[in-house]
Amino acid sequence: MPSSNPLPPKENSLFKRILKCYEHKQYKNGLKFAKQILSNPKFSEHGETLAMKGLTLNCLGRKEEAYEHVRRGLRNDLKSHVCWHVYGLLQRSDKKYDEAIKCYRNALKWEKDNIQILRDLSLLQIQMRDLEGYRDTRYQLFMLRPTQRASWIGFAMAYHLLKDYEMALKILDSFRKTLVTGTYDYEHSELLLYQNMVIQESGDLKEALNHLTECQTQICDRLSVEETFALLYLNLNKFQEAEAIIRNLLKRNPENTLYYPLLERALRVEKDEDKFNLLMELVKAEPKALAPRRLLLNYATGEKFIFEIDKYLKKGLRKGIPPLFVDIRGLYKDKHKTNIIENLVLGYARCLKTFGTFGSKGNLEHKEPPSALLWTYYFLAQHYDHFRKLDKALECINEAIDHTPTLIELFITKARIYKHAGDVYEAYRWVDEAQALDTADRYINSKCAKYMLRANMVKEAEEICSKFTREGVSAMENLNEMQCMWFQTECALAYKRLENWGEALKKCHEVDRHFSEIVEDQFDFHTYCMRKMTLRSYVGLLRLEDVLRSHKFFQKAASCAINVYLHLHDVPIKDQKHEEQMKLEDLAPSELKKLRNKQRKAQRKAELQQAELTAAAEKREQHNKSRQTANDQESDSIPQDELIPDKLARVSDPLEQAIKFLCPLQTLASNNVNTHLMAYEIYSRKGKPLLMLQSVKRAYKVDGNHPLVHEAVVRYSKKMLQWESEGNLPTSVSKVIAIQMEPILKGRTAFQINDEYLKKYYNSLPARLQAARVMYMLDNSKQREAIDLATNLESSLEGISIQNCIDVINSLKDGSFGKCDNELNEYKLKCHEKYPLAVDFFPPGAAKTPSIKLLLDRNETSTDHCIENSNSN
Amino acid sequence: MNIRCARPDDLMNMQHCNLLCLPENYQMKYYFYHGLSWPQLSYVAEDEKGQIVGYVLAKMEEDSEDNPHGHITSLAVKRSHRRLGLAQKLMDQAAKAMVECFKAKYVSLHVRKSNRAALNLYTNTLNFTISEVEPKYYADGEDAYAMKRDLDIKPAPQSTSEGS
Repeated sequence: MPSSNPLPPKENSLFKRILKCYEHKQYKNGLKFAKQILSNPKFSEHGETLAMKGLTLNCLGRKEEAYEHVRRGLRNDLKSHVCWHVYGLLQRSDKKYDEAIKCYRNALKWEKDNIQILRDLSLLQIQMRDLEGYRDTRYQLFMLRPTQRASWIGFAMAYHLLKDYEMALKILDSFRKTLVTGTYDYEHSELLLYQNMVIQESGDLKEALNHLTECQTQICDRLSVEETFALLYLNLNKFQEAEAIIRNLLKRNPENTLYYPLLERALRVEKDEDKFNLLMELVKAEPKALAPRRLLLNYATGEKFIFEIDKYLKKGLRKGIPPLFVDIRGLYKDKHKTNIIENLVLGYARCLKTFGTFGSKGNLEHKEPPSALLWTYYFLAQHYDHFRKLDKALECINEAIDHTPTLIELFITKARIYKHAGDVYEAYRWVDEAQALDTADRYINSKCAKYMLRANMVKEAEEICSKFTREGVSAMENLNEMQCMWFQTECALAYKRLENWGEALKKCHEVDRHFSEIVEDQFDFHTYCMRKMTLRSYVGLLRLEDVLRSHKFFQKAASCAINVYLHLHDVPIKDQKHEEQMKLEDLAPSELKKLRNKQRKAQRKAELQQAELTAAAEKREQHNKSRQTANDQESDSIPQDELIPDKLARVSDPLEQAIKFLCPLQTLASNNVNTHLMAYEIYSRKGKPLLMLQSVKRAYKVDGNHPLVHEAVVRYSKKMLQWESEGNLPTSVSKVIAIQMEPILKGRTAFQINDEYLKKYYNSLPARLQAARVMYMLDNSKQREAIDLATNLESSLEGISIQNCIDVINSLKDGSFGKCDNELNEYKLKCHEKYPLAVDFFPPGAAKTPSIKLLLDRNETSTDHCIENSNSN
Repeated sequence: MNIRCARPDDLMNMQHCNLLCLPENYQMKYYFYHGLSWPQLSYVAEDEKGQIVGYVLAKMEEDSEDNPHGHITSLAVKRSHRRLGLAQKLMDQAAKAMVECFKAKYVSLHVRKSNRAALNLYTNTLNFTISEVEPKYYADGEDAYAMKRDLDIKPAPQSTSEGS
């Protein structure tokens, strides 16, 4: 339908030029033409021109004016599809997709066959996964433009995504009949592979095999053809055919470890011994390949294993292959194999030292290069580190460093050993040493930054990173722009440890925004892939985006954010200040003075940082401005609200904010018990009995034996009893809860549950801790017993680790066992004895960074011990 | 170590590996662009836990239809996994796919003039030769060597070391 207010020819041609300018991103010119129309009093309220002017303004970043113009235009011409379309585009650019879809639908009311609007609508529908809507729109597009390739493809794809395979295949078949293809046609080849993918997903493997057999000569992606053949033959029990194809695949790429199990299936080889023999045969066929040589170690046993691993280790040590240890670490699942490896390598070390050979036959053997001993020490250091025998690990790595003081890998390993020993500062120091040896290697630079962050040195980490980030912007900013999520997450965790809640949240939100951006990234590919015909990969992209936030980067950042928000709910920022004030009143004057000084320093530092930030923001703004004036073509992305740490930390609804991070986890990380435990914490603070129930049940389903789940179950039932007795629960609700909890509680009281749990996991430190907490919670008179239970560190217990000890300390601190300062100090001392290097257990007064000299002395008195035989279990 | 063709769900982890190892970084969209335009050309090396320890991100040069050739956008192997020959294996697989799927005649790449280790790898192990110098190719003003390897002849000679 034409506009209700048509323009005369001269103005109409101007209007067309506005459209052209918009398409070519010549926004300034577009505004000029709009002005020419609007300055004529007869057309000053012309709806479509106002709308287009608004859309153009939006592209120049003038959002408010844009909305004002577009809305005014629309009001003046409600029956214009242009005005509705423009309003939709504006909303789309603001990522208000649901609103945009409504606008497009209104536009289509007035111009139902407008191809452009239908296309724009279909894009939003697929982006929002409105698959039924998408199918309907693609149907209309198909009917309007049946000769276009994209019409067919989009139409078929809509059915495929709705799992209506029959219809999708019918469309694809008809489409193929319309095609004429030459001998080489990549796009056609991709189309055929897509069709085959749809047939496979329909479950008709026979048909898929027929299809592939029939058209394989027209497919240039040989790898996909062969891999598909292999799987189809296997799944159709055509083992002979499968074998031939898989052997071909192995010739093509013997390093693909997924092919080997396929070959085993094809040959119906099941016993380890047969697998071993098969792999031996394959090693002969491909002597240069790494994979079969490594894989056969998994299946070798007895003498054969000793023979093969001996060969493998010697080769790696002789050649000096740094990843030798990480390569064979997988074998350590088998204790017997671990012992063999340890004995062999210890033997090498002794012999290399004495004879310069791997074996003890002295002169009868070839002398190894001197570096063989170095790599042997290096291997042993990692071996002992793996089993947390940190003294021995340190001895070995120091031997290696004495041997060759310039090898970077050694310092990285030394740093890792200290990290495992709980000394983040010393760990950072050694990785920094490595970094200084090769400042041009970003891998070491990244490691160094990571270790700095583990030691809460955020500023230093940023500075180190800046060696590899773009000049002219801060490293933080550049790393954010580059979506460097590992860095941002580690920053968030460091800030959290420093109790700098605002900065921690900022980093978590930045990571979250990367994920939103990556979801946005799909947009362009909806049309692009149909043109390129890379439909298999496109479907892969859609499926990836559907579960994007299941990525561990998101899980880590989200759980950090949730925990910070929980803390901010428990101790809001304002209250913290107030609390500090309270503490001050208790302090002696001299201490007060010290504290005041410290606070002043901190404040000055904060102000300085704030000033830097403002300066940086100004610089950025200017930079943007200069870009804008230099170039009329601005992208249509609009800057997001800035994340201001202080504002984030003073949020009025921390639990609601936490839920925003929780929701994607609940759908995409539902197999992670942590998700439901966090959900429980949030909902118990909100006082939501049924959502708490849901969380407890889900957590229990994932891992009913998890210590934290045990505690949550008991806490929940206790809370419900309390609410019930206080009359806070409607009868219907308590009935539901009783029924739902019965399979977990099995008629037991909280005491009984805890006793049973404790009996069952009496040997596990983390289980004891939670059981002890519950014991005290249920009966305060059992404080002594509970604390004894939690603070036991007998070496027969399982799960003794630095982190688990820290958890005990935190429980002793936070009142979970009542007042117990003496016990806390005693326990800390015990931990310190057990983990002398761990900074978390340093007695008060001792420096947080241990004296280097002390450690060096320790090492000097104990040379040579690292190669003394001692098995790792 | 497992070497296989990259899938869409590898791309984020490739970006992570790139950010750890190399100074030239790209936003996710650029990885998607590679993975969705030439899904056959990029390869990853992963360890037993499925962590990516090396990758090659590759494409076809789009401006030359009569003289099709591939381009290596980025190649990285974590320092912790060097000397296994992973870079060469990754490159050989990518090159093969370039020929099969896109009839590539040669493959090109850029390397920093100062990056001796990489230069050594490309020249000695992977059979690339310097075709020209591109002044100020990198954002920081450094020159690049443009390098090439012909693909219609046999693959690079087998060599097991990767340089360092």
